[in-house]
Amino acid sequence: MKVIVILSFWLISLFAGDLTLEIVKEVESKPTIAIEDATGRINESLGKKFFKLLIGDLEVSAHFDVNDTHLRSEFDEGFDVLKHKKNDFVLRYKLSMEGRNQLSAQAKLYDLKQDTTLFSKTYSLTPDRYPFLAHKIVYDLNRALGFKDVEFLKNFVVYSKYTKPKHADIYISDYTLTYQKKVISGGLNLFPKWANSRQTKFYYTALEDKPTLYLVDIYTGDKRKVLESEGMLVCSDVSKDGTKLLLTMAPKFQPDIYQYDVITKQLTQITNYVGIDVNGNFTKNERRVVFVSDRLGYPTIFTKRIGSRAVERVVYHGRNSNACNAFEDYIIYSSRETDNEFGKNTFNLYLASLNSDYIRRLTANGVNIFPRFAKDGETVLFIKELGNQVGLGLIRLKYNKTYIYPLHTGRIQSIDW
Amino acid sequence: MNKKLIPIFIAVFLLGGCAKKNVQVGPPVRGETRSTSYSGEVERVKEGEGIQTIQEMREKDADEIKLEQMKRIEREAKEIYFDFDKYDIRPDQEPRIEYDAKLFNRKDAREFNIRVEGNCDEWGTDEYNYALGLKRAKSVRDALIVRGVSAERMSIISYGESNPVCMDHTPECWAKNRRVEFELIP
Repeated sequence: MKVIVILSFWLISLFAGDLTLEIVKEVESKPTIAIEDATGRINESLGKKFFKLLIGDLEVSAHFDVNDTHLRSEFDEGFDVLKHKKNDFVLRYKLSMEGRNQLSAQAKLYDLKQDTTLFSKTYSLTPDRYPFLAHKIVYDLNRALGFKDVEFLKNFVVYSKYTKPKHADIYISDYTLTYQKKVISGGLNLFPKWANSRQTKFYYTALEDKPTLYLVDIYTGDKRKVLESEGMLVCSDVSKDGTKLLLTMAPKFQPDIYQYDVITKQLTQITNYVGIDVNGNFTKNERRVVFVSDRLGYPTIFTKRIGSRAVERVVYHGRNSNACNAFEDYIIYSSRETDNEFGKNTFNLYLASLNSDYIRRLTANGVNIFPRFAKDGETVLFIKELGNQVGLGLIRLKYNKTYIYPLHTGRIQSIDW
Repeated sequence: MNKKLIPIFIAVFLLGGCAKKNVQVGPPVRGETRSTSYSGEVERVKEGEGIQTIQEMREKDADEIKLEQMKRIEREAKEIYFDFDKYDIRPDQEPRIEYDAKLFNRKDAREFNIRVEGNCDEWGTDEYNYALGLKRAKSVRDALIVRGVSAERMSIISYGESNPVCMDHTPECWAKNRRVEFELIP
């Protein structure tokens, strides 16, 4: 009996942190939150969009049951407990314009059960950046309640969007792609990748006479050429300290993975295969890389230790896994489930651990592409195409929840956050 | 005739010749060419009217002539098509490659370099699709080298799914987009 108990504890501890297995059980009574809008006269469209963003942010945080009724109130009046019999918390906010170029928001969170105000704050920013105001309020609200960090709400997304043949522009956006600022335009600008965790700089490829990698500072506007290569050049991953890049390059017309040291400018070839090796991602404390290769005759996921020759297969199912992203010991990849040359194909997303054989399917239908981990490793961003609809998807891995926002941005080439 | 009358006749003649003419001075009438005939009608002068410019010749510089030559050869070149998710050259595309090799080795094309451009359909995503386009371009480049086109003249690039020639979401369209095409560069 003792042995069984010890073995059970060992098994639990072994898999306790495994995202492929562990899903936080849906707590039946998540706290319910309502939102009261105390905004006076303001652009009606902005008011509606702001309310929707707050609802979306609260939903995505996965910490609340959200009452999505658009309630009205006065900001300084008391809270009507009877009106909120079914709610635990009320978020009340008031938007107002200060002059022509400042949007201000007052927000407070009231605990109806404890009859106390938990949080009260005033914010201000330029009106065009209003989505970040909503994200900041919900971020602060989660912190005030001591819930798990939801910093991904505040992260920037950088993406490239096709505008016409051989043309793509690069935009910076909030995680819902509501705020959009064009930062690079003219020509074919591809594969933007954040250069640091503070998201102040990013790398991207411009298809000039030769594919050329640039580093851009989004606050100073400084743009620096890093490298150029024949055929193809993509920055696939950046080390945590920002000093090493994993590149897909083809200096001899052959796409392989290289590591580039931005300090010493030294280029090291990681893979050497006559077919396709692309999409390198650091893993295992940056001692290994996972990548996509067609060395079996179709694309699937492999791993190898940097400096060694041996290559190991990671994914054993499906016939076409052509995109992956890694976070520490986890990978997320897009796998084509059908092989239909003459019709629609299905691409699903999977989560796999490099420490076990378990995999978890994360989507069920449509074309699910561009999977990208957030910095917390528990949230995944992706693009979903279903029929003629395109959406931005967000998966909260621990809560087994997926949220889709409709997108009207055109065809996305690549995305990073 | 009485000789005494002769000086009188001369005097009358000279006086008559020096009589004042009645000259009108005024601004010319715009848009009209007036010619006063004795009959008093206005005659329209037609000479030089209605001549058309038949051709405006401008000296073309050497660069323009070369550019036109390059575009003409590009239009003559045949695209090479590929199967779904593949980068090996299909047997039915071999004659097209033979044709392109002859074209690029022709006297008027030999001076130009060739950019071999790989393209994909919309079904691939991310880096893999760009690599697939690159491998398609490399397959065609290698096939052209075997057929005598100098390797030094050729560079390759992939446009992935970014350069479709057909925008419909149909199998026929996707097949047209899985291709390699050529751009000549000086």
